[in-house]
Formats: sequence, structure tokens, C-alpha cells
Amino acid sequence: MTARRNRKGEGGEGSGLVTRRSLIRSGLAALVAAPWVRPPAAAADWTRRSGRDARPAQEGDIVLGVSAAFSGPSRGLGTELYRGSMAWFNHVNDNGGVNGRRIVLKLTDDGYQPDPCVANTIQLMQDESVFLLFGYVGTPTVTRVLPLLKRFRDEQVYLFFPFTGAEPQREPPYGEFAFNLRASYRQETAGLVDNFVRIGRRRVAVFYQNDAYGRSGWAGVREALAAHGETMAGEATYTRGTQFDDSMRAQVEILQGQSPDAVICIGAYQACAAFARDAVDLGLHIPVANVSFVGSENLLALLREGRDDPGSHTRFLVNSQVVPSYEDTSLAAVREYHELMERYSPDPPEDVDRIAEGEPYEPFPQSFVSLEGFLNAKLITEIIARMGDNPDRSRIEQAVFAVRDYDIGVGERVSFGPERRQGLDRVYYTVPEGDRFVPLDDWESRFAMT
Amino acid sequence: MRVHKLFRRLRFGVFALFALVVLSIFLLSIRTVSSELETEYVSNSANIARNIADASVDILLNRNLATLQSLIDQFVEIESIRYIYIVSDTGEFLAHTFVPGIPEEILASDPSLTDPVERSLPGLGEFVEVGSPILSGVAGTVHVGMDTESLALKIQRAVGQQIYLLCIIMVVGVLALVWIVKATAKPLEELLTYVVELARNGGEASDNGVLTRRDEIGDMARLMRHAAGQGSPPPKWRARVKPPG
Repeated sequence: MTARRNRKGEGGEGSGLVTRRSLIRSGLAALVAAPWVRPPAAAADWTRRSGRDARPAQEGDIVLGVSAAFSGPSRGLGTELYRGSMAWFNHVNDNGGVNGRRIVLKLTDDGYQPDPCVANTIQLMQDESVFLLFGYVGTPTVTRVLPLLKRFRDEQVYLFFPFTGAEPQREPPYGEFAFNLRASYRQETAGLVDNFVRIGRRRVAVFYQNDAYGRSGWAGVREALAAHGETMAGEATYTRGTQFDDSMRAQVEILQGQSPDAVICIGAYQACAAFARDAVDLGLHIPVANVSFVGSENLLALLREGRDDPGSHTRFLVNSQVVPSYEDTSLAAVREYHELMERYSPDPPEDVDRIAEGEPYEPFPQSFVSLEGFLNAKLITEIIARMGDNPDRSRIEQAVFAVRDYDIGVGERVSFGPERRQGLDRVYYTVPEGDRFVPLDDWESRFAMT
Repeated sequence: MRVHKLFRRLRFGVFALFALVVLSIFLLSIRTVSSELETEYVSNSANIARNIADASVDILLNRNLATLQSLIDQFVEIESIRYIYIVSDTGEFLAHTFVPGIPEEILASDPSLTDPVERSLPGLGEFVEVGSPILSGVAGTVHVGMDTESLALKIQRAVGQQIYLLCIIMVVGVLALVWIVKATAKPLEELLTYVVELARNGGEASDNGVLTRRDEIGDMARLMRHAAGQGSPPPKWRARVKPPG
């Protein structure tokens, strides 16, 4: 439920034991504590329920509410994002926290489904009184939560750095309730289209998840093609929650009928991997691009798993990313990320409500998603730190807007302002090489029309 | 048992009447329920389409297609709504709920039409589709498809419930009729037995209980005995019965 402070097996503050003294102390503190501080009774109850070594929030802790996909076909995304964040938060908390306060995550699982996400958010805002919402995953979930933030605007609960590049949380009427770090899908798809058109692949089709996320990417492709005087060559859809074992033959055949030069996929890794597999098997041998949300490592793992020729289904892939390659250790943030991921190696959150038993997940040592989670955590820590000893919701926006030309360590400086609610703009392009994605330097030689 | 012959026609008549009533109600129900449900279906679809159209104006003008998709995704969760699509004034499909793609028949149709239309989409089923213009059509049109199979299912369920009730009433009615017939036939058989014995023994017969009855059977038995030269007629018949001899 609440983020774990230390590595599994470590003692000290992370032992999770709620002593009588700490309960009394928390009880007294609750009388004067800020509303986002977890009530001690709830904390004790949580500790009994989980039976794990994680430590619940205590007096003075800053509680961030998370609703993400920790179960279901997109579990890898929520898990890796969480792991990356926890690598940084563990580091911060081990070093005294932010102005003496620990940062603690209150986790809830929505399985990448809108209705549970809405229910979780109400719980986080009303029952848990979290300081802010952080690290949400997905467009269909986030777009449904945005009206809630508007409904409770007087409480000034902001959504920080959701793992989605969709427009609704960047534009009116809800843009003022969210802050984004990553580039948008519009920027990602525009970059992909620009590069395809530049190398002569003008007939671009879209394979997308039939929901708000897919539509957001679809709209981005449409707009980018229009800028080049083109229209979409074709489109095919799939239902959210589709698994890798499901057939994508119908979708491939629809697109084959339109003879595209390239396909841009706006989906999650299970369905996109299934599409890439069936495209190759059915002879659709054209570049297949994915946007950052896909979860590149999860996608690659599915396509390589158990194959005699692991590269047979991956050679046409090109993925856009919104963070630099985690291999690029010339960047300070990437070096930090490597060090802290290795030091803390955060476990997947096994004690979140509703995670199905017997659903094992093997985390990746490094991934684009966890690097994004890491950067999100790093920036939110900086914002909280700028609020001084007594962080208050009413000063959050002011603290965010004070972030100007902040060097987060990826070679691109972060700035926010009333008219700028997105920190980074750069999009990176990667292709598979062995079991990982590496930067794509030359589109021409890799994907030019023959 | 021969007495039962008297009631065969009655039983048949009652049974036939019941069957006629059930059949008539069945046919009337099908007609009424299907007509009303169809009207309600189309009306609901039109209302939903109009709601989406009203809610879409700002979203469309803000070019916020993700929110538009999110909106129609919520409506398509309503039972029996199978698809929704929104087409711009230029005929471009801006949002839809089709998987794996937009059916050819819909691609080929006139997107500005809003009157109810029946569609048969291969692989998807039979639908009634209604449309509603967005901003009088200058911003596009919303189309909502309702599944006619689920409509048929609802009609079947509604009519079935009525027929089920009528059948129960009919079975109970027939069983009651059989019981009444049996109850009525038993004293008649006793009377018949008594009269046969009276005839066979030249006016002498043992009372099997019919003579003490206070109903028409008892009267009949006493009259028979009187006709056979034994006993007096029942009091209320004395004035009308000529003394023997």
C-alpha cells in the first residue's frame, strides 16, 4: 500500500514495526498535523493487513497518492514506473528526506481501467488526504480523473507527472490541474511521421487501442500527416486489455489492404507485441513504430521469448521515447539512475489492493519506463523541497512555476510556468539491438524505401 | 364413470377457451411489447446521440479527440448500445468504437443522415442506428447503433414472462376444473347406483347416503324412491308430485 522505504530484508527505519511509542507519538501529532498526514490508526491497520516490512506513513511524512496499473496486461508499466520512482525516493529518505520529511507513496491499483482509477482517486483525496497525486498510468484512466480534480479544485490536489502523453491534461479545461514532465504523444507522433515522410514513407497507417489513449495518438498522427499534405493510409483498432496470445490477424489484414509504408502503433506492450508478431508472420514487412507508453522492454521481451531467432519479429520496430537511453551514461541523471537502481533494486509492489495472486512479474534492471519514474521522482522532490519546511498545497503551483532552467541531468533543462505545464519536449528514437533498445542514428539506412 | 361423459364437452370447452385466451394475449403482447420496446429503443438511442452531440461541441471545437473518445466509451457501456461513431462535417471519422476497424457498410453510408436506419454488419450483427447533428450538423454528426438482437431478446423476455404467468393460471384452472368435475360426478354416480339398485330390486334399495343429502341429488333420490312406490317425496316437491296410485 505504501511505498517501501528500504530494500527487502533491511532493518532500521524500514522494519515496519509500529511500536506503542510511535503510535502515541503519531496520535499526538495527528492533532496538529497537516491533513495529508496519514492518521495513525489507519497506518497501524495497514501494517497488520499487509504483514510486510514496508513502513506506513508517519507524522510529518509527505504522502503522494498513486493509482496505476499494478495488475493486468499493462502491469509492467505501473510497476516499472513505481520502481524507478522508489529508487530515488529511497535515496532521498535514507538521506533525511526533504527538509526532514520522508516522501511516502500511497499505492492503489487500477489495472489500467478508468472506473477503478476514479474510485482510487476519490479514496486518495478524501480518505487518505494525500498531499498530491503522482505517477498515474494511462490516458483512459487519467482523462476520467481530470474532472474529479476540477470538482475538488478548492482542495488544490494536483496530478503530477502522469505516464501519458495525451492532450487532455495539457490543455483547457483540465490542463490547470496537472503538471507533466514528458513530451506529449502529439510530439512523439509528429516526430515519427516527420522521419517517415523524410525517408519517403508517406503512406502511414495507425494501429491503436480503441480508447482515449489510442485516439490521442491517432489525432497526433493525423495532424502530423496533414502538415505534410497527407492523410492516414489506414487504421485498425484493438480493445484495451488484449493479450499477447490474442490474434491480430484481422488488424494486420485491414492494414495490408491499404498498402501502407509504415505503421504507427498507439498501444500497450501486449497488444503491440501481438501486432508486430502477426505483421511479420503475415508478410507486412514495413517499419512498425511504437510510442513511449508501450513499454519497450516488456514489448521486446515478449517478442524475443522462446524463439530460435529472437530478432525475427523485432527487426522492423522503431520506438519513440521521452527519456534518453538508459545506456547513455554520459548523462548525470542516467548515472544516478544506474547507481540507485542497483543500490535499492526496488521490488514490485506486491501488497497493493487487488493485485491477483499468482501473477509474477520479473522486473527489468533498467528500462525507459523506470528511468521516467526516476526523473518524475527527482523533480517532484525538488518541487517539494522548494516549498520549505512546511509544504502546503496552496503553494504547490507557486513552487512548480519557480522551476526554471532546472538541470534534471538529461541534457535538457526543465522549466514550468502558467503557460507551460510540461517540463520536457525532447523525443528520442530507438531500435532493438539484441535484448534492448538503442538510439537510432540513421533513419535512412535502416528504414529507407527500397 | 359414465357420468364423466357429461363433463367431457365442458372440459374441452373450457380448455379450448383458455388456449384461445392465451394465444390471443400472446399475439397481442408480442405486437404491443415489440412495438413499444422498438419505439423506446429508437427514442433512447436518439436521446443518447443527442446527449453526446450536445456534450461534444466544446470538445470538438477544442480538437480534443481523446476526451471525445473517452466520452463515447462511457456511453457504449450502456446495455444494448453496440457502437458509436462521430463523423465531422467533411465526413471524416473523428472517434468510434469499432474493433478491428470501421465496417465497409458504415464507411460507404451517408454520415449526415440522422433518421433511424436498420443495418446488418457482417460479423457484428443486426442494428438500429440513429444519428444526431452536432451544432446543427456544421460540426459533424453522432451515430449510435443499438443491437436488435438484444432488443429481440428483451421482447422475448417480456412476452415470455406474460405467457409464463398465463400458463400457470391455465394449468391451475384445468386442475381446478378436473377437481370440480370429479367432485360433482361422485354424488351423481352414487345416485345412479342407488337408482339401479332401486330398479333391480323392485323399489327396494339400501341407502348409500344419497337419501340423506339435502341437495338436488338427495331430492332426486327421494323422488326416485317415491316413484318406485316407496316413501314420500321431498317436502318442496310434494305439491307438484301426484300421489302414487
